[in-house]
Amino acid sequence: MLPTPMSHALLEPVAAGQTRFRMQGLASDARGIAIGREVLVVLPSIDALVSFLGAYSDEASLDDLVPTMTLEQAQRAGGGHATLIRCGSSDGYAVDRLARLSTTARGQLYTGGGSVFVRWREREAPFGYDLSEPLQGGRDEVVVADVDFLARYTTTHRMDPVELIQRLELRPVPIPLGGVSRDPELCGLKEMALVLVAPALAHRVLRYLWRMEVPMAGYYARLGGDTQSSLLLRLRQPRARALDVLAQVPGIELLAPVSSRAAVEIGWRHPVQLASAQSCLPGDEMFLFRGRAARVERLDGPPRFVDGRHLVESDAGVRLREIGQLREGELEALRVELRMRPSALAREPRAVVIAWEQVALLRHLVYMLPPAALAAARLVPLEEGLVVLAGPSSLGRVTPLGLGAGLLLPLGRRLGEVAPGVLVPDGHELWPRVRPALLRHLLGLLPEEQALYLTPDSDPIRVRPEQLRPLDAAVIGRLSLDDAAVVSPELPAVGVATVRNQRLGRFALWGFGGLPAGGPRPAGEGEG
Amino acid sequence: MTDFVVPLLAGDDVWVGKPLRPSDRDDWAPALAGGSFSDVSFWRLRRGQLLTAVPELPDPDIDELGLWMGLHNLLVFEHPDRARVWARDITWRRLEGATRTLLTLPAPEDTPTLVARHLSVGAFVDVLRAEVVVSTAIGEIRIPALEAGRRFLRGANGAGREQSVPWLPQAHAPEVERLLDDALRASPLTCLLRPTLAPAGWSPLLAAKLLRQRAWARAVCHAWAIPKDWMRTGGAVMSALLPSLPIVPGPTSDLGSGATRALPEAGAQLALPGAVVPCDPRELGAVVGSLIHLHLLKVLELDTRVGLALGSREPGVLAFLALPLLLPQLSAELGEPVPALASDATSAPVVRRWTEYVDHLAELVPRSVVENLLASLVGRIVKPA
Repeated sequence: MLPTPMSHALLEPVAAGQTRFRMQGLASDARGIAIGREVLVVLPSIDALVSFLGAYSDEASLDDLVPTMTLEQAQRAGGGHATLIRCGSSDGYAVDRLARLSTTARGQLYTGGGSVFVRWREREAPFGYDLSEPLQGGRDEVVVADVDFLARYTTTHRMDPVELIQRLELRPVPIPLGGVSRDPELCGLKEMALVLVAPALAHRVLRYLWRMEVPMAGYYARLGGDTQSSLLLRLRQPRARALDVLAQVPGIELLAPVSSRAAVEIGWRHPVQLASAQSCLPGDEMFLFRGRAARVERLDGPPRFVDGRHLVESDAGVRLREIGQLREGELEALRVELRMRPSALAREPRAVVIAWEQVALLRHLVYMLPPAALAAARLVPLEEGLVVLAGPSSLGRVTPLGLGAGLLLPLGRRLGEVAPGVLVPDGHELWPRVRPALLRHLLGLLPEEQALYLTPDSDPIRVRPEQLRPLDAAVIGRLSLDDAAVVSPELPAVGVATVRNQRLGRFALWGFGGLPAGGPRPAGEGEG
Repeated sequence: MTDFVVPLLAGDDVWVGKPLRPSDRDDWAPALAGGSFSDVSFWRLRRGQLLTAVPELPDPDIDELGLWMGLHNLLVFEHPDRARVWARDITWRRLEGATRTLLTLPAPEDTPTLVARHLSVGAFVDVLRAEVVVSTAIGEIRIPALEAGRRFLRGANGAGREQSVPWLPQAHAPEVERLLDDALRASPLTCLLRPTLAPAGWSPLLAAKLLRQRAWARAVCHAWAIPKDWMRTGGAVMSALLPSLPIVPGPTSDLGSGATRALPEAGAQLALPGAVVPCDPRELGAVVGSLIHLHLLKVLELDTRVGLALGSREPGVLAFLALPLLLPQLSAELGEPVPALASDATSAPVVRRWTEYVDHLAELVPRSVVENLLASLVGRIVKPA
């Protein structure tokens, strides 16, 4: 249709800070942009609609859009067709995104409500547009006011967005050249794969997978129109080899789960990101999108997978034998000594041993420690020097975040942790590398105690929790506080008076018996 | 003095005892002249400073002494021991008459007298009442507190606890209701500051000369702005102001020779409560300007939107809301509350908010109200062209 010739502009840009508009239902949002209750996306065809939905679902969740969305095929007054999407507008940022995506899909976005819509904001009008004069839409038609033309659309039929998304045709995508095993992540099968096996192949596939010791679970599901049940298998972290074999067998389809209730065959892709369109798959059914068969299978209810060992039949006749007697006392030959040996393994220093001559330097360095490290640091004064531990203990707990004091103090000899609570000089380790828990057990440490090897040659010393002193408390002397002097205001405050009653005697009104001289007559006296 | 006046002004325990006779006033008046009550002078000054920094106050005179005595006697009518007094009803009515005599004072002629009256009456309307809450088998009962040596209450559990409640909003004896109006009439400034309490027939024009002084106009506007329902305050002022407008001099009021005037002459008694108060157009302008300033204060406080959304059909409130819409006509005389064009960045949002507020009022207030005011009020402030 040719643009309607107009002698004056249909729309005028909204000014900054404008709060009242000619068009009904238009309001300014927090940024001052004129925004209506609804937005309308006008798209030229169904294909553009599909690419719009696909692009939107890639960026954001369709679940936000679908509850308020309607899809309509409309005829334009004067000829032509269009596909209209209407949905509620939440805020300006969301509408901005819709506008960008609709432009990408060769469409145009309008805002408004009811039956009248105006163009959304653009570079020339950053706060949007308002009608230059009020406009009335007719019955059953949508009036769209653009900068230079006016279009009237009449709806011919409506589409259900949920149904549309379920019926969309899958698009083929290439599989890696070397097969699925080359890049299972690309096919979406790295974590989990679903295998749909034709009824006749079910037993052979199960036997093969069982022999390969592939962990699996599955159940038989009857697909729409089939007489026999097909087998649906779930493989967690499947091996590449097994996937390659399965992918090449006719009658077996590998499906990649895209959300908790939908799976798409590998080599195919749904035009819409199903992970962001949960509400488009109603109920609790499982949807299998099959590309080669060009079908969508709806399984009744959520899949109830049964562990693989219940699916196969075992015909093994072997029995396990219990051990009768253990040979004791013959392990002496195995005994070795736990030794300290140099090691190139780098460890984070958990403590430093500072000689007493260097304590004066530590006093200066305390100012550099960040508050978390200073609060966690503990001190053990020994004859050999002052041991500064990075934290109270990391015995089986999560180590504190950030750098410890042991790493930050460039003084003394550093100690690293080989097992929880067992510290050895930096550049050494205990040999052989026994289990950390066993090491503590061998050293005879109680739960909160620590063992320190101060030098590679000396015996370890035991440090009890009560011997640890907080570093910050040890370095700071006592502080004294001055009492605050309270100043009272110079003048007394003016308050609100309180009525209190003195006792009234029996003769309180004595003397009021006669009229006061010269006074006016009391109210009510002498009337009538 | 020490039991009643000083505690009343300072905010302490006010003791109410035997009623005072009008003859006592004449006996005590000479003592006032000596200036021997330094406490009273000090607390009058302190209470005056609650309103302006340097209040100008006259020495207490015999009128003010009568006012204090009248206020004291007013409280006697609600004394818990009233039933014990041996007196006939006629005697109580005579006491009411005597109290009215004490409270009926001439209209204050100058500003210091206006302020001095308000000090006592303003403190009086805020006064609290000490009550004893006694719990009994049938629930809690409240009785006004008496001085030491409490009465034995049959069925009471324990001694009871004491509470202070605002005195004015409580239910009062009929004599007190009548005398309260007299007490408030004695102090036009109190009525101006608390227009919702004002008695029938009061007019803001009685205290309008105060509003021509900058410090007092500020004090009054801020006192109006304090209550949450400031629109009711403004509405009360407007509904008191409109019936008391003076006659416009000049040709507009002459409806042809020989025609009877719709309004009586200035100062004449009206059938309805509310006497026409003769006043300067500039004083009337000061009242209207202060009310418009109250709008501006609320715009600055961002307190307007909530209030206006409630909507009100009360004529006084509508007239009050219509006042900023009269600015095009009044600005020549009263000036503009905000400059027409913002000169700097700080005033720009204020000007914008004020413009939006006035536009909002224009949508809210019916056109007839504005036209009514244009006909009745504007002509009395601006000289007709």
